[in-house]
Amino acid sequence: MNQSISTAITAHAITKTYANAHRALDEVSLEVRQGEVLVLMGPSGSGKSTLIRTFNGLESLDSGHLDVLGLRLDAEADPRQIQRIRKRVGMVFQQFNLFPHLSILENITLAPMRVQGQSAPTAREHAMLLLEQMGIAEQAEKYPAQLSGGQQQRVAIARALALKPEVMLFDEPTSALDPERVKEVLDAMRSLADQGMTMVVVTHELSFAREVADRVMFMDAGRIVECSDPTTFFTQAKEERTRRFLRQID
Amino acid sequence: MQAWLRQASKRGVPLDLPAHGRQLWRHTRRHPLDTAISLVVVVLIAWAAWNSATWAWKAADWSVVSSNLPLYLNGSYPADERWRPQLWMGALAALTLITLLKPAQGGLLRWLQRCLPWCWIAMIPMGIALLGGGLGLSSVPSRAWGGLSLTLLLTTTSAALALPLGILLALGRTSSLPLIQLSSRLYIDLMRAVPLIAVLFFGQLLIPLFLPVEIEINRVLRAVVAFALFAAAYVAEDVRGGLQSIPATQNEAASALGLSELQSLRFVVLPQALRIAVPALTNQAIGLMQNTSLMALLGLVELLGIGRSLLANPAFIGRHLEVYVWLGVLYWLFCTAMALLARRIERSGPPMSRHSV
Repeated sequence: MNQSISTAITAHAITKTYANAHRALDEVSLEVRQGEVLVLMGPSGSGKSTLIRTFNGLESLDSGHLDVLGLRLDAEADPRQIQRIRKRVGMVFQQFNLFPHLSILENITLAPMRVQGQSAPTAREHAMLLLEQMGIAEQAEKYPAQLSGGQQQRVAIARALALKPEVMLFDEPTSALDPERVKEVLDAMRSLADQGMTMVVVTHELSFAREVADRVMFMDAGRIVECSDPTTFFTQAKEERTRRFLRQID
Repeated sequence: MQAWLRQASKRGVPLDLPAHGRQLWRHTRRHPLDTAISLVVVVLIAWAAWNSATWAWKAADWSVVSSNLPLYLNGSYPADERWRPQLWMGALAALTLITLLKPAQGGLLRWLQRCLPWCWIAMIPMGIALLGGGLGLSSVPSRAWGGLSLTLLLTTTSAALALPLGILLALGRTSSLPLIQLSSRLYIDLMRAVPLIAVLFFGQLLIPLFLPVEIEINRVLRAVVAFALFAAAYVAEDVRGGLQSIPATQNEAASALGLSELQSLRFVVLPQALRIAVPALTNQAIGLMQNTSLMALLGLVELLGIGRSLLANPAFIGRHLEVYVWLGVLYWLFCTAMALLARRIERSGPPMSRHSV
């Protein structure tokens, strides 16, 4: 398994069709290397969110298969295999999805204690470390409803990091935030990238893609249109479809 | 009056009596019909209050209440053992007070408030053990149980059985397995279509007919089971309402963290759903307490049963009003206590955010 050392996620012709016959993913194949930051861009409905959600089994596949950290995921994947993957792949959602009935600290320690069987003091210590990294250690005893959107999203990142994942998935992490709160979340993601975390990020933040991404991938209608390093992507995109999209959002 | 004024101004109530007076005067002149109706209502209320008060102070003979207090509390429980149900009711009252008190900063009270849920659960085996005997206490047959202590025992044990059963039914009703979903639905629909008195009759009169003579199931137990089976159907629908109000993204976030479906249910979905269901569940609990009085018709001498048997006593003939007013006050007191406890539970949790969808 020489490949799995340098590759975090490989997709082999994965296809996903929704019940309304909408083909969200059309034979998508790609490779995410260890330690790289891959940014997924595309118009809404292009399948980028569906793609990222297949990586931890939140969306099932119709055909094709995935290799996530050396674990195989296909149409018949059993729940235990999916759970094994989820313990090693963290995910951050657009709407944060914090647990409103638990304090910030409890939000972060829930999975380490219940999934990994860590003791409460160990989990709490690690959670406080993560909150410090995210710059919100003083919020530990509060509840999600008492925090701003940017703070909630940083808690969500800390919660995903608490399982010490090898890959982090970000599904439009700044789309639900006030403009002035976007930066604090992007900064947290940037420092995570600097630490060498493998990251797949669905986002429309051009500056983040330009400065942090190793590769930018453009999707439309369930297919990958093109993929290149950020400089090439933003200055000399090959496909007309990509150029049109970039003109529209710039 | 002075003290009241000071307090009111502290609370920030604008206090400008002459202005209020002027406003009132202007209002009466502009709306003469309003004023006339208000006056009539005030006179009616005063008349009713005066009549009730004179009846309560002068005409009523409260000896039917005052000379029978132990009966109302314990029914025909053996006199030397009455401390047992009384100890239990005292413990219930103390626990209610501790629950309603403001959270303490330290000391014994703080420790007690931390393990409140466990204390409440422990109340039920404690009640059964104290009333029934065992563990060195002489055994008292269930037909000697009665009065308020029986009412409280019926209410608490049936509620404690109905809640987990109702949660299971609600989960079954929302399950993706067709057979489980169908059977839960059938059960809920059936129980809601049958009047409670029929279920109670079935438990008290028909079940013994089906069983051999030598097997005699405790009558109180049969009543508790009937109440619990009936209430569970209603509890299930309340809990289902709570479950449906939790967005699917909560479950998604939990499973993305590697939590199993069961763990996600236990730590993420159910705690939120139950909290949302608290007001509806309080309704069920209050209804359950009042419904236990139906057992008076089926031979259990709970609170209402004691009242009825006292009225049958020639010494207290014609004292219906006194007995029923007294029982009304007791039921009101306990239902209010339950409502206060529920409000405490509702407020004790964290501030709920509006879920963004």
